[in-house]
This record gives sequence, C-alpha cells and structure tokens, in this order.
Amino acid sequence: MGGKFILSNEDHYNSLKENDKFYQEFFKLSFDLDMVMKPEFCYLISKDTQENFSRDVCIFVAVLCYELDKDGQNFMEMMDYHEFNYEEVDRFFENSSFIDLIESNKALKDQDGRRTLINGMARRNIVHKSFEDRFIFTQAHRVFIDFAKELAMRKMAVSKEGESA
Amino acid sequence: MIKAEPRTILSFLHTYFDVVRDLFEFQAHDGLISREAFDMIVKKHGQQNIVGKLKEYRIVRNIGSDYEMRDVYFKMMEFLLFEFKPLLPETIEKYKGAISELYMKIRLGENHDREILQERIKNISHQIREFVDLVERNAFRLLSETRDLKSNIERVEYREKVHKASFWIEYYILPLNKILDVNHSESVTSKLIEVSEYANRKRLDFGDETIRTEFEKLYGQLIQTNQDLLRQSKILTNELLPLLERIRTESLILTGFIEFLRNPYKVDSPPLLKGSRTMVYAKDMLFKVKEFFEQFETQESVYYEETDLQFDKWIFDRELFRNQLNADLPVKDFFGWCSKMLLKDFPHIETEKFFAITGLLFDEDLNVDFPKKEERTVIETLNSRISVPKIKIENAPKI
Repeated sequence: MGGKFILSNEDHYNSLKENDKFYQEFFKLSFDLDMVMKPEFCYLISKDTQENFSRDVCIFVAVLCYELDKDGQNFMEMMDYHEFNYEEVDRFFENSSFIDLIESNKALKDQDGRRTLINGMARRNIVHKSFEDRFIFTQAHRVFIDFAKELAMRKMAVSKEGESA
Repeated sequence: MIKAEPRTILSFLHTYFDVVRDLFEFQAHDGLISREAFDMIVKKHGQQNIVGKLKEYRIVRNIGSDYEMRDVYFKMMEFLLFEFKPLLPETIEKYKGAISELYMKIRLGENHDREILQERIKNISHQIREFVDLVERNAFRLLSETRDLKSNIERVEYREKVHKASFWIEYYILPLNKILDVNHSESVTSKLIEVSEYANRKRLDFGDETIRTEFEKLYGQLIQTNQDLLRQSKILTNELLPLLERIRTESLILTGFIEFLRNPYKVDSPPLLKGSRTMVYAKDMLFKVKEFFEQFETQESVYYEETDLQFDKWIFDRELFRNQLNADLPVKDFFGWCSKMLLKDFPHIETEKFFAITGLLFDEDLNVDFPKKEERTVIETLNSRISVPKIKIENAPKI
C-alpha cells in the first residue's frame, strides 16, 4: 500500500470499517503497525515516527496555509475545496517570508522538488491530481490540520503553566 | 594580547557553551551582568574555576563590580542563537551618512592618492556589508515578533494585540520601510543604487587596473546587496505593513502551524507509515534472510486421522454401458434395463449409480420412443422407490 490513505469513498474503506477490530489486530500482530480509523479516511502508522516525508508535507501544508491567510483567503475553505495549480503554489513559496526554511529543505527548495513532493502526496492519497499541473487536497490533509491544532493546544497549555508558576 | 591559541578559545566556548549562553541571555535581558547574577550562573553550572579564563580570553570584562560580555562574543552568540535584539531604525540609518560621505570622497578623490582611494572603496564595502546585515537581522526579529502576534499563543485580547502591532509599525516597521524604499530619494537603498551605477561605470573606464578591480568587487557586492534589500522590502510590504489587518483573524490551526514553522526539526511531525525496503547489499540482509528461513526450519508435526469408512470407487463408464445398450437393442423398458445392468454387478441398486446410468437417455444417437399410454415401472434402490415411465429404445433407423 505504500502508506496510502484509504478514503471513505473507496470500496475497501467500508470493509476496513466493518471489520475494524479484526484489521486492527491483523496489522498489529503481523507488521506491528497501528491502523487509524477516522470518519473520512483510514491509514496505517509505523512505530518509527522519524519520517522525512511527513515533516516535508507538514512544512508544505503549514507554509501554504500561512501564505493563504496572508493573502486574505480563508485557508480552511481553500484546503477543502480549492483546485491549486503549480504556478500558484510556486508563487506562494517563492514570495514566502519562510524562504530560509524553504531553501534549506531539499523537497521544497525548488519547483522540481515541490513537484516530486506533490506526486508523492498524490501516491498516498493526500492530494488528488485533477490534471498534470493541478491538484486538490483530499480529506487526508486533516491529519496535518489536526496535528497543528494539537500542537497549538500543547503550546498554549505550556504558556498558561508558565504564567501561573 | 591573548596568550591562548584561537583554537583553545573556541574549544573553551564549546566546552562551557551553557555558561556563556546563560551569561549572554542575562545581558541581552538586563544590558549588564550583575556580580550576583554572574556568580549565580557560574555556580549553577558548577564552574567557578572558569572565571579566570572568561576574563583571560576576553569573553567578559569588569564594569565596576559587575560584568559585561564583550561585543564580539555577544554578536556571535546573537548570531548562533538567532536571538537578535530589534534595533531602532535610527541606529540603522546612520549607515546612510557613512556611505554617503565615503561615496562623495571617492568621487572627489578619484584623481588623488591611489592608496587612499583603494582604502575608501574597501571601507564603503564594509559599511554596506554591516548595513545589510543589520537590516536582515532587524527584519528577522520583526517577523518573529509579528508572527508572535499572529500566533497569539498567550491569547491576549484583540485590543492589546492592536496596541502592540501599532507600536511595532510606528517605531520599527514604517521607519525601516522608509530606509528600504527604493522610490524614496532619501532612502539608503536609493543611495546604494546610485553607488552601484557609479561603480559599474568605474569598473569599466577607470585608468588604474588595481582600482578597476576594487570597483568590480564593489559592484558585484552591490548587485547582491540590492537583491537582498529588495527581498527584505518585499517582506515589509507584504507581511509587516499589513500587520493590523492580519491580526484581525485568529485560528488555532494557524497558531499550531506558526509554532511548528519556528523550528520544524524540533517537533515530531504526524506519524505516518514508514516504508522499509532492504537492499540485497544491506549489512543486515544476511540476518533478515536467516530470520525468514528460520521460520520454516522447525515445522510442527501435523496429525490426521485415517477414516475407516470404505469408499465405493465405482466410476460410471459411459462407453461400456453404451456399447451394452447398443448390443441389447431394442429395449422395451429402459429404466428396467438400467436396474438389471446394475444388479448384474451389485447385490442391490444404489440411487446414485442408477441415475448415472439413466444419463445414457440423453445420448442424441438413441432412438427414444416415449409411450402414449401411461405405463410405469418401479425401481427399488437401496434407500428409495422410484416410479418411472416405461421408455422404449429402438434400433437406430438405417439411412
């Protein structure tokens, strides 16, 4: 499966959902993998979390959301429904104030790197490529949105602790 | 004069980095390191014995009874930790005066002493380098401050956010923008463009070759400088000036992303599946192959019980019965013939065998005659009684 997200509109999502318990146990015992079942998608995670792909995608999504917001767009709506084209994404990245971070990351520093990353995301069902140079995010992007929410909550809790201490 | 080798000082900084960092942070906050704070920091790290070395290597110096980290080390720590103090643009603007004066003297002294001209070109280059460095550091710090406002991790109220944003805009962002605004005739950037054009001309037509080379270097530096300043100016225009507008909206998700982007390599990103692929030339390949084969090495014994039931291995030989039927033609009662044939070989008739033979009826070559009257015959098999019509099989008509 190559770490592919199974989306709720795919046939095998239903069979995974119906036999959730069995597959949880199957993946755990056979490959030591955890299966995460969400209402919109399902995916597997491995024990080893030091994964570059996840970090690169996370930076990609984070910069894109930041730049969309800076551009005065509703970034959540854009992530849910907008069809992005490569040119638009390149413009956001090339004019970003996170340019130092972008230039230090192999997967994001130039157009070719970003194309490869988007193709990797398409292989894992995080984006759906509608044309050669266009893509839309699938519901799987919510993994990264949820991650941002959790991180913000954690940081806010630490900040509150610091204030009360 | 420091007796120690430069490497020894660097090695000292490496070994006692935590102490030096704490001293730096205290000075960045308070402007000076009080004697009590200094003693507390070295004591905290259990390094009271390094006080002498800190002075010998000229990392700190005494200011009365207190201490101060020397500027060169302070700046190095600022750079290493990326913790720049925002400078008021007035501090940066002073470079305009220095650059303008040197530029004027270079122009006026073109035909005078060659060595002083060369020295002035080197000096203007140094001033430009310092100016760009300060602008970059200030822009970085301002970005960091404004992202803090946007992220709003402390969840301060909107009114307070606006107050802070207005402060940054009024005292730092707008004046810095004025310094960088290329369209403003008084800006440092427009002065640098003027110097750049002048250096471009002189690198081509100046009489002395050594000076021409100096102008060439200055011109190369200015091209890069103007690009860097343009980038900083873009950041100011796109991100810092519209700050008030931008802090109107707030989102928990954006807060998370901003916090993540501060240092994405220090936060664990969401876990996904990590594919593993072992190459045949990998070091652990031998062990993995062994592990794979080992699972087949000790096979568990499998037992199965042999059943006592006798299976009847009778298989219907269609050809044999067909030939027999042909030999017996005409047959008046086909089903009766079937039962007779079975009773020849077996003491009783099994239903399955009986039905197997009756399949001959579907042979297309047979001339089957279905009786008009209802005449039936009863066949008794081992577990049933079957009432069947009497069917005649005639000889095939000769054509």
